[in-house]
Amino acid sequence: MSRSIHSSRFLDLGTLSALTYLRFSTRHRIEGSYSGRHQSRQQGGAGEFVDYCQYSGSEDLRRLDWKVLGRTGKSFVRIYQDETNLLCTLALDVSGSMAFGSSPRRVAASAKLEYAQYLATAMSYLIVHGQDQVGLAVLDDRLRSHLPPGGTLTHLARLHEEIENLTVRPSTTMAAGLRTLFEQSKRRGVLLLMSDFLMDDLSEVFAAIKLFRHRNWEVAVLHLVHPEEESLPAGAAFRFEGMEGEGRLDCSPSDIRADYQKRFARHLAAVRQFALAGGCDYHLVSTSVPYLHTLGGFLVDRAS
Amino acid sequence: MTFLHLWAIIIGVLAAGLPIAVHLLTKPRPVRLPLSTLRFLREAIHQRRTRHVLRDVLILLLRTLAVLLIALAIARPQWGARPLVSDQLDGDAVRVVALDVSQSMAATDRGVAMLERARTSASHFLRYRPGLKVNLLLVGAESRAVFDAPSVNFDQLREELANADVLPERGDVRKLVETAGKMLAPVSQEDRRRRELVIISDFQRSGWAKADFSSLPEGTQIQWESVAPPETLPNLAVLDVRMNMRELAGGCSQCEMDLYNGTPHVRPVEIELRVGESLWNLKATCLPETTTTLTQEIPWKQTGWQAGEVRLTNVDDALAADNVRPFAVHIPAEPNYLIITRQPASMRPSSSWFLECALALRQTSEGKPVTVQRVDPSELDSVTAASADLILLDHPGKLNENTTKLLAGFIRHGKPVLYVTSETQDAMNLKSLLEIVGESVPFPVEFAPPVVGRSRRDLMLASVKRDRPPFHVFGDHLNSVVGQLRFSGGLESRPLEGQHDDDLLAVYNDGSASIVSVTSEVGALAVINADLNESNLAKTGAFVPLLEELVHGLLYHDRGNETARCGEPLFVQLPAETGPSRILQAFDMKNGSLKFDANGNDENKQGELVDEETGTVWRWNSPARPGVYGVRHGEKIVFANAVALSPEESELESLDMQTLGPRLAGGHATYYRNVADGGERRDDFWIWLVVGCVLCMIGEVGAMIAFRD
Repeated sequence: MSRSIHSSRFLDLGTLSALTYLRFSTRHRIEGSYSGRHQSRQQGGAGEFVDYCQYSGSEDLRRLDWKVLGRTGKSFVRIYQDETNLLCTLALDVSGSMAFGSSPRRVAASAKLEYAQYLATAMSYLIVHGQDQVGLAVLDDRLRSHLPPGGTLTHLARLHEEIENLTVRPSTTMAAGLRTLFEQSKRRGVLLLMSDFLMDDLSEVFAAIKLFRHRNWEVAVLHLVHPEEESLPAGAAFRFEGMEGEGRLDCSPSDIRADYQKRFARHLAAVRQFALAGGCDYHLVSTSVPYLHTLGGFLVDRAS
Repeated sequence: MTFLHLWAIIIGVLAAGLPIAVHLLTKPRPVRLPLSTLRFLREAIHQRRTRHVLRDVLILLLRTLAVLLIALAIARPQWGARPLVSDQLDGDAVRVVALDVSQSMAATDRGVAMLERARTSASHFLRYRPGLKVNLLLVGAESRAVFDAPSVNFDQLREELANADVLPERGDVRKLVETAGKMLAPVSQEDRRRRELVIISDFQRSGWAKADFSSLPEGTQIQWESVAPPETLPNLAVLDVRMNMRELAGGCSQCEMDLYNGTPHVRPVEIELRVGESLWNLKATCLPETTTTLTQEIPWKQTGWQAGEVRLTNVDDALAADNVRPFAVHIPAEPNYLIITRQPASMRPSSSWFLECALALRQTSEGKPVTVQRVDPSELDSVTAASADLILLDHPGKLNENTTKLLAGFIRHGKPVLYVTSETQDAMNLKSLLEIVGESVPFPVEFAPPVVGRSRRDLMLASVKRDRPPFHVFGDHLNSVVGQLRFSGGLESRPLEGQHDDDLLAVYNDGSASIVSVTSEVGALAVINADLNESNLAKTGAFVPLLEELVHGLLYHDRGNETARCGEPLFVQLPAETGPSRILQAFDMKNGSLKFDANGNDENKQGELVDEETGTVWRWNSPARPGVYGVRHGEKIVFANAVALSPEESELESLDMQTLGPRLAGGHATYYRNVADGGERRDDFWIWLVVGCVLCMIGEVGAMIAFRD
C-alpha cells in the first residue's frame, strides 16, 4: 500500500482523505469474484434475506425453510441477496487529443490525460480501498494494455504505475480497442470509460460499448472536456496544429468562435445522446474543475 | 493627361502597397498551439473561408484604391494638351498678348461681356516671370501696342489691360499679324528666346476665316484663347441702310434697310426709322440666320444733307451696339448740265441740240426747267465747269491740253462726264483724257478714228446689257425698241486686254462699242459712240429715257457709299463747290460739335479738312464713334458722312479654332483653349478623386459591417 502511495505522483492521499468514506456504488447488481458489499446478481443462502418463493424442486434444499414446511406443510425456499465485490475496469483513452491542455500557456486547466490520470488514480485507490477490484485498459486505436481487475495492493501499485506512465499516441479511432477489451473481459463488472470522444469512429465506439451493456456491464462514461476546447483560446491569431496528424490551420479564433462553439456543442450533445441511448451513465467532466470535486460528485451521484 | 505634382504619383504607388505592408507588418504572429478539436475548427473555417476571403479582398482593394485615389488627387491630374504658353514654363521668352477689342467683344453671354472674360484670361499672361518680356496689343481696326517693344513693365501692361474697352471697330487680323510679327521678330541672330503669341478673341468667322499667321517669325507658338460660348449668341442688327435716289426733291426715295437675324428662330422686329425730324415705325419679320431687306418710301420735301438712323426697338440680344445704324442722305437739287460743243445753239437740228432738248425736259422742284448751259471749248473755265453737275461733250473738236487736264481733273474729283463721240478728233480727245485720268477710271475699250473706206452708217445694236441701265428701263419692250434704232457716225473701237466688258453696255453689229459707261469710286465717264444728228436715236421715243437713265447713273453712281466704318480711315473729296477748307467746319450733326476721341480732344487733331490740288479733302484717320458727321459752310451743310459699325461685327458666329487654328497658323505650333466653357485646363478632377477616396473608405466600413458576424 505504502509503495503505491509513494510511487504515483498522481496520488495525493491528503486530498483523498476527504473522500475515504465514499464508495464507488453501482446502480445495478453486479457479478464479483468475492464476497463484498455490492449486491450480487446471485441470490443464494447467505447474505441478507429478501423473500420467500415456492419450492419448485430445483432449488438447493439447503435453502428450504423447514420450519415453514413443518408448520404449514408447504415448501418454501428462503431467498437471500448475495453481496459481492466490484470488478471495475478503468478504460482510459490515450489518443493524441487527450494531451490537449498540456501546453504551458494553459494554466487554467490541466491536460485531459493528466486529469484522467489523477482521476483514475484516485478512483482506483478508492475502489481498492473499498475492498473492490479495479482493472485498467489503455485505449488508442487498439487496446494498448489491459490490466484485469485486482484488489491487491500490489495490483494497485502496478496499476498506478501503468497510469503514471501513460503517454498519448496519435490515433483517431477507439472502437477496435474497446472490442478487444470486451473480448478479453471474462467477468461482468463496471466499465468506467474516460475519454474526450474526439475520434472519427464515434458511432463505432458506442456500438462497442453496447456490447458491454448487452453483457450487463454497467458502463459509466466520463466525457473529458478542456475549457479551451469549448470556446477556443483568446487571442488574435493562432496556428492550430492537429494532435492526431490532422495538419495545421492558421486562423483568428474570434472570426469563427461562434460557429466553432456551435459545432463543439453539437459534438457534446451527440456523445451524450449516444451514451444515454446505450444505457450508459454519462458525465461531462471539465478539466477546469478540480478532479477531487469531479470525483466526489461522481461518487455521490452514484451513491444516490 | 498630365500631373501638377508628379512626385505624388510615385508616393502614391508606394503608398498603394501600404495596406498590404501594414497588413503584413501588423499581422499577429500566430501562436503555435496544438488543438484537439481541429476538425471542428476546419469545418467552421471551411464554411466561412469564402466569405472572409471575399471580405478581405474587398477591404484590401478598397483600402488600396483609397490610397491611390488620394495620391492621384494630390498629384492634381490635368486633362487636355499642355498649354504652349503658361507660367510654368521656364526660360527667356518674348510674349505678345493680343486682346481683341473689336465691337463683337461687347456681346454679352449670360450678362458677362466677352471682353471681361478676355480681360481675365489676358491677366494670366501678364504676370512677372524672370526672363519674360511681354507686350499687349489691343486689336481693332488697328493693332495698338502698349509699348513699342515687349517690356517687363508688367504693372503698366496690367493697367492698360484694366483700362481697355471695346472699340466700335472691326478686328483687323492682318494688322494684328503684322504688328505681332514685328514684336516677336528676333533682335539678333543670337536671339533664341521663346516666342509666344497669345490671342484672346471671340474668333468671329467673318474676321478670322482668312487669317494667315505664316508670316510670324519662325518658332512662334500661338495660343488661341477663345472667349466665345459654344453656341452662337443671338443677335439682331441693322447691317446697312441705302437710299435709292430715283427721285429728287419733291419726290420719294426707297430706303432699303438690311436687317440681320443671327438667331435660329424667326424674329419679329420693330424698327424706328428716323430721317431729320420725320419718324417711321415699322414692323418686320426676320428669317433665321439670314439678312432681310426692308424698304420704306420716304418723301423728300427739301434738298440738302440730312442725318438719319435706323433703330431696332424692343430687342433683347447679345450685342446692343449694332441695333442702331446712322446714315446720311443727300437730297440733290435738279442738276445743272453743261454741254461743251462747237455747235452753235442756233444750229438745229444738231447733235448737241438733241441733247439739250432731252435734258431740258426735266423740271426743278419749283416747276422750272433745269439749266442746260452750252459753252464752246475755247471758252471753258474751271468755274463754269465746276458749277455743272454733269458735263457733256458733243462735237467739241480738238481739245487743247488745258481743257483736257481740266476735264480729267473733274472726272477724278467725281464730276461725271458724258462724251458723245462722233468725230475723228473725239478719239484723240478721249485718249488724252483717259491717259490723264489713268487707271482710276478703267475704260474697257479704246476708240480710234473710223477706218477709211469703211462706212459707219445704219449700224444696229447687236448686243445690249438688258438688265443694266439705261436699257433696263425698257423692260420687255427692249427688243422692239432696239430693233428700230439705226446709228451712224462714231468711232471704231477695240477691246482692251485685261479689262472687263461689264461697262460695255451696247455693241454695234460691226463689233464696235456703242454705249460705254464706266463708274468708279473716283469718277464716272460715259460714251455714246454715234452722231446723234445722223442717227435715228434722237428721233425716237427711246432717246429721252435712255439718256435720262444714262445721266442718272452718272450723277448718282457713288450714292450709298457715304457710310464710313468706325476705326477705319475716312478720306472724302468734298464737292468742288464747297470751297476752301478755311471756310469749312466739320461737326457732329447730332451733337453740333465734332469730338473725335473719347478724351474730348479737339476735333482737328484726328479729322482735318485739307486743301489739295483737286479740291478740299476731308481726312479722318480713325473715326471713333458711330454717328453722322458733316462739313458746313457757315450754317449750310455742304457735305455729310455717316460713320457706322462694320457689319461683319454683327455676325457672332465663331470659328472653330480648335480645328482650324493649326491650319491658319501657317505651320506654327498652336494650342487652343476655350475660356468660356471653363477656361482653364481641366484640373478639378482631384475633387472627384477625393470623393472617390471617401467613397472607398465608406465602402470599406460598409464591407466590414456587411461581413460582420
